[in-house]
Amino acid sequence: MATCEHCLLPLDANTAIREEVGGREAFFCCPGCRSIYALLHAQGLAEFYRRRTGWVPGPPELFAADPDALSDCVVEREGEHEATLAISGIRCASCVWVIERYLGRKPGVSLVRVNHATGRAKIRFRPGSAGIAEIASWIRELGYAPHPCETGELEESLRREKRDLLLRFGTAAFLSMQVMTFTTALYAGYFQGIEPKFLAWFQWLSFALTTPVIFYSGYPFLRNTLAGIRNRAPGMDTLVFLGSFSAYAYSAAMLVVGGEVYFDTAGMIITLILLGRYLEAAARSRAKESIGRLVRLAPREARRRMGSGFGGHAPRTETVPVSSLRANDIIEIVPGEKIPADGIVIEGASEADESTLTGEAGPVAKGEGSAVCTGTVNGSGRLVVRVTQTGKETVLSRIVRAVEEAQARKAPVQRHADRVVGWFVPAVIAVAALTLGARLQWGDPPLRAILVAISVLVVACPCALGLATPLAVFIGSNAARAQGILVRGGDVLEAGASVTEVFLDKTGTLTYGRPCLAHVDGFGLAPREVLRLAASLEAPSEHPIAKAIGRGVAPGELLDVSAFKAHAGLGVEGIVGGRRLFLGHAKFLSLNGVPVTGAQEERFREISEARRTAVFLADEKQVLGLLSSVDELRGEAEESVRLLKKEGYRVRMVTGDSGPVASRIGKEAGIDLVQSRVTPVEKAEIIGKARNAGGRVMMIGDGVNDAPALTEARVGMAMGRGTDIALESADAVLMTNDLRLIPRFLSISRKTMRVIRQNLAWAFSYNLVAIPLAVSGNLHPILSAALMAASSLMVVGNSMRLRKA
Amino acid sequence: MWTTWLLILISIVLGAGAWLLFVWAVRSDQYDDVEGAKHRMLDDE
Repeated sequence: MATCEHCLLPLDANTAIREEVGGREAFFCCPGCRSIYALLHAQGLAEFYRRRTGWVPGPPELFAADPDALSDCVVEREGEHEATLAISGIRCASCVWVIERYLGRKPGVSLVRVNHATGRAKIRFRPGSAGIAEIASWIRELGYAPHPCETGELEESLRREKRDLLLRFGTAAFLSMQVMTFTTALYAGYFQGIEPKFLAWFQWLSFALTTPVIFYSGYPFLRNTLAGIRNRAPGMDTLVFLGSFSAYAYSAAMLVVGGEVYFDTAGMIITLILLGRYLEAAARSRAKESIGRLVRLAPREARRRMGSGFGGHAPRTETVPVSSLRANDIIEIVPGEKIPADGIVIEGASEADESTLTGEAGPVAKGEGSAVCTGTVNGSGRLVVRVTQTGKETVLSRIVRAVEEAQARKAPVQRHADRVVGWFVPAVIAVAALTLGARLQWGDPPLRAILVAISVLVVACPCALGLATPLAVFIGSNAARAQGILVRGGDVLEAGASVTEVFLDKTGTLTYGRPCLAHVDGFGLAPREVLRLAASLEAPSEHPIAKAIGRGVAPGELLDVSAFKAHAGLGVEGIVGGRRLFLGHAKFLSLNGVPVTGAQEERFREISEARRTAVFLADEKQVLGLLSSVDELRGEAEESVRLLKKEGYRVRMVTGDSGPVASRIGKEAGIDLVQSRVTPVEKAEIIGKARNAGGRVMMIGDGVNDAPALTEARVGMAMGRGTDIALESADAVLMTNDLRLIPRFLSISRKTMRVIRQNLAWAFSYNLVAIPLAVSGNLHPILSAALMAASSLMVVGNSMRLRKA
Repeated sequence: MWTTWLLILISIVLGAGAWLLFVWAVRSDQYDDVEGAKHRMLDDE
């Protein structure tokens, strides 16, 4: 089939626009695409079409943002204005290129940077020669839509935190490297002898260079140490600061008294631990950005009817932001559109896909008087709806609130390293105090006793400890990412290692979440022929069942259809191969005077009892066939469940759909424990109960109705094609929707956890050697540095093994 | 002897220069989009 030259969508023969471009014919689906095509050619940017790869066919964005909201995004910077906008409609790297090129050559625009990963654009312009409204209209000319950039406070603070960490780490790294230079000279001097003048100079220089590392780069540790002391909960930060600060203070004292200094140790501890923190923050923010790309911009616009529309005038509609809808507004919903508010249908007939909200797989018929819910998807008919609830009162918002409540309740997973450090810090302080007491008892001079006690604190802080967890987590989550699993943070991998029970949602998770052709019966006609006729007839239809039928036939086999007409909620009719055909329910056939025999009725009932959706194909005289469709189990579902069971996990299914369907899918997938007809809140309660019974639960889902359960579970995992709210509330996301990744994720989690344990053991074995030496007063700085380097290298090498996880 | 002092001075000046460059890079968002640069490089012919 011919496609639109610009957006690559299939063309509708009746509305396509034909145009002569450079001596050849080009077709467009709409005037919008034509003008973008013309604009790009006029601007010499036609290369866009040659370079684009991975473009997902789709129409240009038409959404017009409120100019006032956009001007809120402009800030002054260096005498120019800078706007940060979110741009929707970016489909490939080429889109970034064309936006940067087109805007970049406009007068007054000095800088355009579009981030492909986040869809964010930063545009700098001179306020005299360009304005935000013009910039917005230029972006719209290209078929993209600028939105006010909602930098959530959380996102902004994460960004600031990452940048702050980078500055502190970078500074510490530069200074520590300088300190290392002088320390090397000091080591050489120790073996070969050094002039006292140089010794003093190098030591004082090291002191000067280490001071900012301790007090600037190490400030977060200082702050958390003070907080830890106040709360009587010493953590990792307490240990880090205790170690580095005592090394620093001890060395500073040695400058005056005369003795070996440990400035390099003090600096390296902070540097390496900041590196670990930065790696972890980078992995987390990258996962967050990738998940953000999956979360599509929600329907922010609605078609609202202006005036009453009575008195013979055709009602006019205006496009308004969803936020401005009020109860009793009349809105129109076109086929395939997401419903923007809760309401009651007052006109039209269609069916809605409510599976994300209820878990029910089949489409739900909607006619006058039916209620529709925000976020569900309209089917093949046009609906006119009177709004009953908006914003905070909709069913969707109530679920969002349930998620937020669950999030607030959820206790953070206690990290393994924190657990170990929890007893290690008090133990170290006790050893240091005992050393001090014992040495004083046995008649050491007080200064000597104090110095030995401090050296215990210095060697107690293994800098490998700071790298042990973050490095393993960083490499583990990169390995997961390479296989299509996005992990939101290091604690997710640690939590994943302890999972004992796996809960799966049905619709959209175990199944495809859309109907697939299940069976074709022919009455006096070969099933193959029935399918071909039905697919040809349904070709123009957007109905999910029509698409299921269409997938059953190769495009080349299709016959032409004319006089196509869709009767929403009933069926379709059209002329195929000179024959008038009907496809729909029995009621639709009898309306058109086609008789349905008892045997055919019986077969229809049989199929319906198995909860499959069936439609009849008929010509004007008789029924030709019966086609049934069903939400199929994913191809790899059974294998994945078997793998999980083999690994010893308890696998269960929870669904909002009815009993018979649930048990059929459960049986096919090999899951014995099935709970059906569960509301979203009940799902979360089931997870909570399993948790209270001692199970460590992982939940996998995709719908709005799974979101509270995903939050409640120890590990929540969303399907990449899931709803925004499921993606937002999940800890991990399966990018490719492949269920086999669930056992993969669990195995990567276990491997990561094993490496973390080994790393910690290595890091602490350094202390096993060093602490007794320190207590006896025989620890030399060179030995201490060598041990520290060896254990750090060991940790790095061990973590690298996870790359092949 | 004075060469030692000179070398120390040079190393500190170089180190400080590199550090200032780093601070400038962080402050001007050079590290915010490390993915985009590789695509952009191919685009600018």
